[in-house]
Amino acid sequence: MDYPPPPDVTGRSLDGSDPYIIDPAENAALCRSTGVEPATDGTAHPAYYYIATQVAMGQTVAGLCALCDFDVEQGPMMASSSVRFQAPLRTGHPYRVTGEIAGLTRKSSRKLGLMDLLEYRLRLHEADGTTVLETTNVWVLPRRELMQ
Amino acid sequence: MTALTPFTIPCVSADAMRDWARFLRDPNPIHLDPDVVRAKGLGDRVINQGPANLAYIINMLLAAFPGGHITALESRFIDNAYAGDRLTAGGRVVEAGKAHATCEVWLIADGNRPIIQGTATITL
Repeated sequence: MDYPPPPDVTGRSLDGSDPYIIDPAENAALCRSTGVEPATDGTAHPAYYYIATQVAMGQTVAGLCALCDFDVEQGPMMASSSVRFQAPLRTGHPYRVTGEIAGLTRKSSRKLGLMDLLEYRLRLHEADGTTVLETTNVWVLPRRELMQ
Repeated sequence: MTALTPFTIPCVSADAMRDWARFLRDPNPIHLDPDVVRAKGLGDRVINQGPANLAYIINMLLAAFPGGHITALESRFIDNAYAGDRLTAGGRVVEAGKAHATCEVWLIADGNRPIIQGTATITL
């Protein structure tokens, strides 16, 4: 069966506009919520690679889904996430985010049926432009409604 | 291959999911309301956020390599972790040098259900 292609969103910018600062108190709460004490040297929990890029990119989760012609209420699912750090993350430090959609591919799977795979890349930068990390996330966007 | 000391979350907390919804600025109700989880046919308990699951693996790595820094982490999300699950983050060193170590890492629920599988590189 033929299905319509997904929207052509490859290359769409996800650059953020506002700086993101890892709040020391929030970092402490996050660490404790996962069962560890925060570092005392000013470094933040590395899980902020995901949070900082996701929160400060130029789209909300709902907005990113909407770009892909997908209703966030249908439930996007994380498929994979990769990150390469150039330096540890620090609390109280302004970072900015650049990024783009790397691809949106329509596929059929035995388990999930018709779905779109959304791949997007985000980078976190120091105020002077130095890149601190790059992350690539892949989400599954279930498209069962197109099979009905 | 050297096994890394596991990091265990005895019981995934629904309260912590409310905190993570705030950290992530993402009020997705599957993390907050078991009725929504049931309505979506995803189970009967709230679902832990994927990045929180990743954080347990990171905690295991940082404890295994004191003073080290994670320089790369690749993670594949296989299944959901639910409130009340007992989670264990584990790993083993697959390549070790003077300056870095490469590890296979994982998170499993209740002893046998894979949640995340991945690889990590640590600078020593």
